[in-house]
Amino acid sequence: MLRQIKPKNARSKRALAKQEPLMQENAKTTLFLKGTSSSSLVNDLLTDIHSLKRPYAIRFTKKNPIHPFEDASSLEFFSQKNDASLMVFGSHSKKRPHSMTWVRCFGGQMLDMLELYVVQETARTLQQFKGEKCKVGVKPLLSFSGAQFESPVSNQYTLAKSMFVDFFRGAETQTIDVEGLQLLISFFVGEDGEDGHPAKIQMRCWRIVTKRSGQKVPRVEVEEIGPRIDFRVGRTREANEGVLKEAMKTGKGSEAKPKKNVETDVVGDKIGQIHLGRQDLNELQTRKMKGLKRGRDLDIDEEGEGEGEGAEEDEDVISEEEQDMGNGVKLKRPRLT
Amino acid sequence: MPGDSTPAASQAASTSALKSAPSAASHPDPSSITVTKAIPPTFDLGNLLCHDPTPLPPLPPPALLAATARDCAQSLINQLLTACPVVTAAAGGGVLMALPPATFPLPREKPLPRKKAETTWERFAKKKGIRDRKRGEGGREYDAGKGEWVPRWGYKGRNKDGEGGWIVEVDEEKERGLEGEGTGKTVRGEGRRDRVEKVRRNERKQRANERKGRKSGGGG
Repeated sequence: MLRQIKPKNARSKRALAKQEPLMQENAKTTLFLKGTSSSSLVNDLLTDIHSLKRPYAIRFTKKNPIHPFEDASSLEFFSQKNDASLMVFGSHSKKRPHSMTWVRCFGGQMLDMLELYVVQETARTLQQFKGEKCKVGVKPLLSFSGAQFESPVSNQYTLAKSMFVDFFRGAETQTIDVEGLQLLISFFVGEDGEDGHPAKIQMRCWRIVTKRSGQKVPRVEVEEIGPRIDFRVGRTREANEGVLKEAMKTGKGSEAKPKKNVETDVVGDKIGQIHLGRQDLNELQTRKMKGLKRGRDLDIDEEGEGEGEGAEEDEDVISEEEQDMGNGVKLKRPRLT
Repeated sequence: MPGDSTPAASQAASTSALKSAPSAASHPDPSSITVTKAIPPTFDLGNLLCHDPTPLPPLPPPALLAATARDCAQSLINQLLTACPVVTAAAGGGVLMALPPATFPLPREKPLPRKKAETTWERFAKKKGIRDRKRGEGGREYDAGKGEWVPRWGYKGRNKDGEGGWIVEVDEEKERGLEGEGTGKTVRGEGRRDRVEKVRRNERKQRANERKGRKSGGGG
């Protein structure tokens, strides 16, 4: 258990505030670490998966005397210390060859674990594939093929699917650049064989190449870029039901409010509808003129009294020039319509 | 003869298509963008995720994996480009697409944030029904006697009513007490003294509450 620190200065206060729970969470960080004995194959594959996961990944290089299924407290410590809730632990022994333990944490405590053994014969690292690679930090497309991933009852394959989605989906985004759709990580699981061996999970990574199809949507081709890993499923630890229920909660108000009267058309332009009140035409501001000034009106009233009623009836609006020409002798009150 | 060889070739193609149903060979047109699957895949576009429930044989050959992956990628990109609205990018970038919110259920990293503990003042204000006022709001009230709006406090404030009147009623007991101290206090300053004391009391309470809040570690 991590010591509870009371922040003494602004910097450590900020650092602690960054780790506080959020309504809308940031992308999960993954920690890569290895046990006291680990094979070079597992190390290489961990490096490759780390490179797929960047920038949301931390890699440890020292050996750690940890056995996750016997005592996960060290992993929990690392999780809290590094603010990382996902972990991949690599180890190798005669009984459990080339094993990778995928661990998920919730609130600094271990939630669930899945042990996968790499099949040595078919494994290929990133370096063993020639050709162009993907850019760092692109959000990958994920695909899960095989009936066992879709099982209605939770089993090791549905757990693996949930784990892999959590590990590889990257940051949540509202928008995505079409150029960024470069990487496909696909997982396959066949039906169980007749010999009683459970099916392997096969992980393949592809670069997506698009070609013109003559239509709006391009023709998609895939090119394997590695790593290529086949997993045999080992031990699993399912999440505690109560803890899982707590972890699956989504806060109220986290879903976006529907925006009224704003829509986007086919071209992508934003169109908004505005509601105005009823227009009062009596209040309408028309052209401003000297002759219309209220101050003048009063003066004219006083002057115009001698003129008589008849003169006032057939008057017109006077422009400024007319006024000047008239030398200000007679100013008529404009007719207000 | 070419006339004889073409049907044979198409025959071979069709049999290979039968052997591995969704393989690349099953697409006659290399520029086709349509994907046909026994069970249509479902999508979670927020996570760029494609669920393809079509069963695979126990030991799928590499070609089948490649074809399945291609089909998944194609159908996912078809779905993305048709279902997602395009957002025009501001800074000369490429085409941005708006993604719907993710639907695949995943556990959170940390529990939902807890509400901050109420401070003593907040608890008290709730009990008394005191709410925050905006600046300038409620600073004036209607004085029916004068028939106009007057300030509640401050210059010519209503809380100073009765101070500085030209005639003051004297309580003899009190008057004697004031004189006895010999501090120069008079009955005229009574109202002001009360007012200032009220302010000081409030400040004292405020400090005490802050101290209490810090000690219990809540709210702060």
